[in-house]
Amino acid sequence: MSELLEVKDIVAGYGDGPAILNGASLTVQPGKVHCIIGPNGAGKSTLLKAICGMLPVRSGNVRFKGESLAGLRPDQILQKGICFVPQERALFPKMTVRENLRMGGFSLKDQSDLERRVDEIEEQFPILKERRDQHAGTMSGGQQQTLAMARTMILRPDIVMLDEPSLGLAPKIVQQVFDIMKVMADTGITILIVEQNALLGLRNADWGLVLDLGRSLFEGPANDVLEDDRIQELYLGGKKVA
Amino acid sequence: MADIIQIVVLGLALGGVYALMGSGLSLVFGVMRIVNLAHPSLIMGGAYVAYWGFRLYGVDPLIALPVAAIILAATGVLLYKLIFEREAKSAKYSEMTVLLTFAIAMIVEGGLATAFTNTQRVTSPGYATDAFFIGSVFIPKGQLYAGMVSLALIAALALFLKYSRFGYAIRATTQNREAAELMGVNVNMVGLVSFAIGIGLAGAAGALVSFVFSFFPSKHWEWVAVLMSLVVLGGMGSILGTVVAAYVLSVLAAFVGYFFGATWSVLTFYLALFVVLLVRPQGLFGEKPEMA
Repeated sequence: MSELLEVKDIVAGYGDGPAILNGASLTVQPGKVHCIIGPNGAGKSTLLKAICGMLPVRSGNVRFKGESLAGLRPDQILQKGICFVPQERALFPKMTVRENLRMGGFSLKDQSDLERRVDEIEEQFPILKERRDQHAGTMSGGQQQTLAMARTMILRPDIVMLDEPSLGLAPKIVQQVFDIMKVMADTGITILIVEQNALLGLRNADWGLVLDLGRSLFEGPANDVLEDDRIQELYLGGKKVA
Repeated sequence: MADIIQIVVLGLALGGVYALMGSGLSLVFGVMRIVNLAHPSLIMGGAYVAYWGFRLYGVDPLIALPVAAIILAATGVLLYKLIFEREAKSAKYSEMTVLLTFAIAMIVEGGLATAFTNTQRVTSPGYATDAFFIGSVFIPKGQLYAGMVSLALIAALALFLKYSRFGYAIRATTQNREAAELMGVNVNMVGLVSFAIGIGLAGAAGALVSFVFSFFPSKHWEWVAVLMSLVVLGGMGSILGTVVAAYVLSVLAAFVGYFFGATWSVLTFYLALFVVLLVRPQGLFGEKPEMA
């Protein structure tokens, strides 16, 4: 199997602080939905930030399509085809929905194509068309998440990394978020998602990775991870969940 | 009635210059979170460029304006590269910039005083002492030109921010630095260019100031509080807010000067600073503080 992204034994942390990731590894296969689960403080978000270049990797390496990403700035990693949607959704609250979508294509080399791509996204997500002139900061949480996720599609990236997209959303809206994720995956985008709700995350994924204390514990097909006894103990409080 | 119109006209003319002085400060704060206490001292630097251009070579300060802007913008690049770029990663960044820019202000003032002494200067092209009359209302040409040039520069800045690709990047970085980075904006480059533009605007404002006010190196302290009051009233980092605040406060100050004497007019800015911080700390166009 050829890996799209390979993370090997990386160590990373914030500023001069202690390492949060202590040798985390991960392989990402093209076209699949990968879910990273693990208890609070396991380093799930930190792993995504290290991959996209927002945190320096202290040791270990990240390879994308066989090429090392070491020392690249976030804007350079984005150019390679890796998008990141952080928990805070990274919207521009005082720009309109349409302007936010345009910002999504900021790094496009050919800007003449931008308006057409924005139109396409608006066709695909009618709520964004309806709200195009509204400031992003005034939309509901679910609509903001839709915007943040749809916006990544402007670049037609290889990989989109989502950090807890369901955080703070009502259960009914949460399913919409996973539906959007499916739409993205159907267009051929490889997904790497961090999810606090392990059950929900794994059910919507092809592949699961379990992280604890900054290390990768184990990985495998999402269904197998869900059934694994170690998960039941570590994460779901030792109770078997159907 | 004619008196009222006269006061408003004079207030508006000065308001334009204040707006230009403040907009560079506001841009730098918005993008970089630098409270640039050195901004007025750098305006002073621009004033000296225009002054010596006129004294030595007879160059009109309005012609010297782009030169002053470019020299100061280059100074801005240098300051950014030497000082602010490397400190940007520090956790106490915003607090530190207050001390750093205070030190820069002292150094600029000392440098200017050593080079040019503390003598009061004013650039005196013909129009600086001339005026138009419309009925009984008089408009000093110097203030009118300065106000109009300021307005043109601010309009150019606004158009650049609103419609250019780099302007998008600057606005994005102001609103959400991390998000801008994730959209592929090179935020360090945005910081550098915004800083250069901000200080360049200080240089341009300096050229205008050189024939509107008399100046000397330590005069910049008077402007620190005036400019801060504009930025705070407008809402930290909102350029539109700063411009509106500049016009409002200048006209108010003109009224205060008329009714209570010129000495009291500056008080308008200080009082506004207090009142805004008490009543509406986020200013006219600012965000409510997140911690509230």
